[in-house]
Amino acid sequence: MKNYFLKLLAIFCFIFCFVETVYAKSEVNVYSYRQPILIDPFFDEFTKTTGIKVNVLHAKKGLLERVISEGANTPADLVLTVDIARLSQFVQNDLLMEVSSDILNKNIPSHLRDSNNKWFALSKRARILAVSKDRVSNNSIKNIEDLADPKWRGKICTRPGSHDYNRSLLASIIAANGEEKAEEWASNLVLNLARKPEGNDRAQAKAVHEGVCDVAVMNTYYFGKMKFNEKNPEQKEWAKSINLIFTNQDNRGNHINVAGGGIVKYSQNKDNAIALLEFLTKPEAQVLYSKMNYEYPVNPNVEPSEELSSWGVFIEDQLPVERLAELAPTAQKIIDRVGW
Amino acid sequence: MSSWNIWSVPVGIISLIIISPVLAIFYSALLGDTTLWPHLFSTVLPRYLLNTLLLMLGVGSLSLVFGISTAWLVSRYEFPGRSIFEWALLLPAAVPAYIIAYTYTDLLEYAGPVQGYLREIFNWQNSQDYWFPNIRSLEGAVLVMSSVLYPYVYLLTRASFITLPISYFQTSAIYGRKPFFAVALPLARPAIIAGLALVLMETISDFGTVDYFAIETLTLGVFNVWLGMNSLSGAAQISSILFFIVVILLTLELIARRNQRFYEKHSRQESQDLEEISNFQKILFFITCLIPLILGFIIPVSVLLNFVLKGYAVVNISEVVDTAITSISISFVASTTIMLLSFVMVVVATYKSNTFQKSLIFLASCGYAFPGTILAVGVVVFVGWLNDIFYFQMSYFIGGFVVLIFAYTLRFLAIGNGSIRSGITRINPNLIDASRTMGRSFLTTMKKVILPLTYTNILVGGILVFVDILKELPITLLLRPFNFETLATYVYQYASDEMLEESSFAALIIILAGLGPVIFLSRTIKKYSTKTN
Repeated sequence: MKNYFLKLLAIFCFIFCFVETVYAKSEVNVYSYRQPILIDPFFDEFTKTTGIKVNVLHAKKGLLERVISEGANTPADLVLTVDIARLSQFVQNDLLMEVSSDILNKNIPSHLRDSNNKWFALSKRARILAVSKDRVSNNSIKNIEDLADPKWRGKICTRPGSHDYNRSLLASIIAANGEEKAEEWASNLVLNLARKPEGNDRAQAKAVHEGVCDVAVMNTYYFGKMKFNEKNPEQKEWAKSINLIFTNQDNRGNHINVAGGGIVKYSQNKDNAIALLEFLTKPEAQVLYSKMNYEYPVNPNVEPSEELSSWGVFIEDQLPVERLAELAPTAQKIIDRVGW
Repeated sequence: MSSWNIWSVPVGIISLIIISPVLAIFYSALLGDTTLWPHLFSTVLPRYLLNTLLLMLGVGSLSLVFGISTAWLVSRYEFPGRSIFEWALLLPAAVPAYIIAYTYTDLLEYAGPVQGYLREIFNWQNSQDYWFPNIRSLEGAVLVMSSVLYPYVYLLTRASFITLPISYFQTSAIYGRKPFFAVALPLARPAIIAGLALVLMETISDFGTVDYFAIETLTLGVFNVWLGMNSLSGAAQISSILFFIVVILLTLELIARRNQRFYEKHSRQESQDLEEISNFQKILFFITCLIPLILGFIIPVSVLLNFVLKGYAVVNISEVVDTAITSISISFVASTTIMLLSFVMVVVATYKSNTFQKSLIFLASCGYAFPGTILAVGVVVFVGWLNDIFYFQMSYFIGGFVVLIFAYTLRFLAIGNGSIRSGITRINPNLIDASRTMGRSFLTTMKKVILPLTYTNILVGGILVFVDILKELPITLLLRPFNFETLATYVYQYASDEMLEESSFAALIIILAGLGPVIFLSRTIKKYSTKTN
């Protein structure tokens, strides 16, 4: 029995020694809703230029609750999210600090940051339509509202309505047309669906390729990820069979959402965290966003990559992205009611 | 025996600590506004509830069929491959549900090889030309979840079948009764129910599969309310419903078998020899055992292997080896802790506690019924409270590990308790009394009598917990310290974007890491059961 106990103790020690890293003086701790494979290259670049080590904790859910409960003890310095709804939750719970940085103010247009400078957008994506090259003519859809048209009965594919991206799209429609119209739109959209909403955005493009449906709703960057997928070349075929349509180009513009970040109120490495945030808005990082992730830069001085520009220049919906977060719960209720 | 003593009081306190995060979830549920309920009731809730119940019914039934039939065949009859099936039938336990869901979709969807092949043979042009069942459906979920969850039933039931005394079978033969229905099934009931309870709890708390298949269960509802309507308390309220469904089920079962006795009057018994059967039966039994193995192991592993061989996988050996070591170490430490606790808790609950203490211990093992992420949030909130009260400032890393192991305990104690309890109900209470009359202390009795008699059950539980922690995702994801990857979180960074091809190598390693212990376990059970009988 005693022997067992000693062994156990040895294993415990082993594990703790294994991962216990000595805190370097120059560090910044990041809680990230964004996957490591997408964000790590940026951190590597940052560490290379500044010598500041970046520690990352990635989770898709619950980081907000973790920061709330850790309170003043939280090790987190910077929070990165993939959509505006989560970011504004951090603001609502008073977890982010105001940051006054000339670099950030210069690099990020005001409608893409918090009015109190508590959060900053770092990249943009448009939610667009991916339509079949063979079966849909390019000018047959102009506005997102057209998806409610009965002529698309049984021809549309989307992921489930309660995914962040669709919720945010619906929120933008509520903001533009009012709740009642938005609900009418959503329920007609559901009638037009070719199949039960399932899978992610990429799976919808695939369904268009396979002929299951003609029109899919998708975020822009998925197109790039499919078009250049060397790991799974089959996806290149999916990309080949679709055209991209930016909606609402004659009126409010195409719906966009942002990935962004903010500095945690209790940050103990505030300067490093600001440095990292600033780094992410600088041209060299912004170029990476568009080259590697096929996202649109927020920095107005940075042109989207050639590839991105080739998809089309478009007018974006100028609605302050905060409104999307405010309207998300209303959108979710509509989604529940219409069964999207 | 007084029920307030040095055993029951500390164990009661430990139980209370373990369920505190669950209480934190309840607290958050009570705190919240209930204004969402009319909306939920009139829109999604009935559908969510119905789907959840159907899923439980489906997965429960199919797991019972797979688990009990195979357990009976391998422990009673001699047929080709039997000794391999004995351990191989456990292999699906090592396959995470989110991975099996993905591999099946890859195989059976429109662009997958199966439908492609059919189109080629029959010259169908597109999906409008023929009908093919959609794997992303309730039926699909029942199939894939049952094929990885049945090992819970199989393992516990078999451990029970192989220790059945021969005299019972002889008696049933004299009276012309079928040994399976007259003897094996009734006597194995505690084990079967323990296995079934685990399957149901796993089903009810699953998020990966139902999310991937887009099946609207209560769990999915929990996340829509939490993240879509920014209402953690609403989510906690729905989770609490899930919890109560499970508690009610378990209580009903406890009441139903309250006055039954499952132990043998005489302790030394010969066990039954394997029965010789006709060739036709041999083939039939072989196929019966092969089906769940193909569904739960061979198919998913082949799909993953195919990805790796095609070069789709990211193969970074040193990274995978590092994460594998971390994974295996933390799983080992946590499963040992859990089984130690489980053993003491169940023994004390059985022999040393009053009803109140028993209920506490029982509740402590119900954490399994919560979706992992919600449980993790409960732990986060609870640890936050502790921090406010005591202001303990542990090293961030050590603290992180303690919290992680605590959360695993809360989640997986059900498995440990279930397997140990099914062993203890079969110990003749006279043995305990005899040991005590001979002047042995409770501790010595525990060590010299109960421990050896439940040794197999401890192993069974320990390995199940170990494999489960190896696969565990949501709790690890949220509660881990910085720069900390287990195999499951490593796989997840790709899988969360439906890029499982890239992570197929690491996914195979998860399965591989689970194989060793599973095979070891099966050997030990066999050796041990032949030794004691």
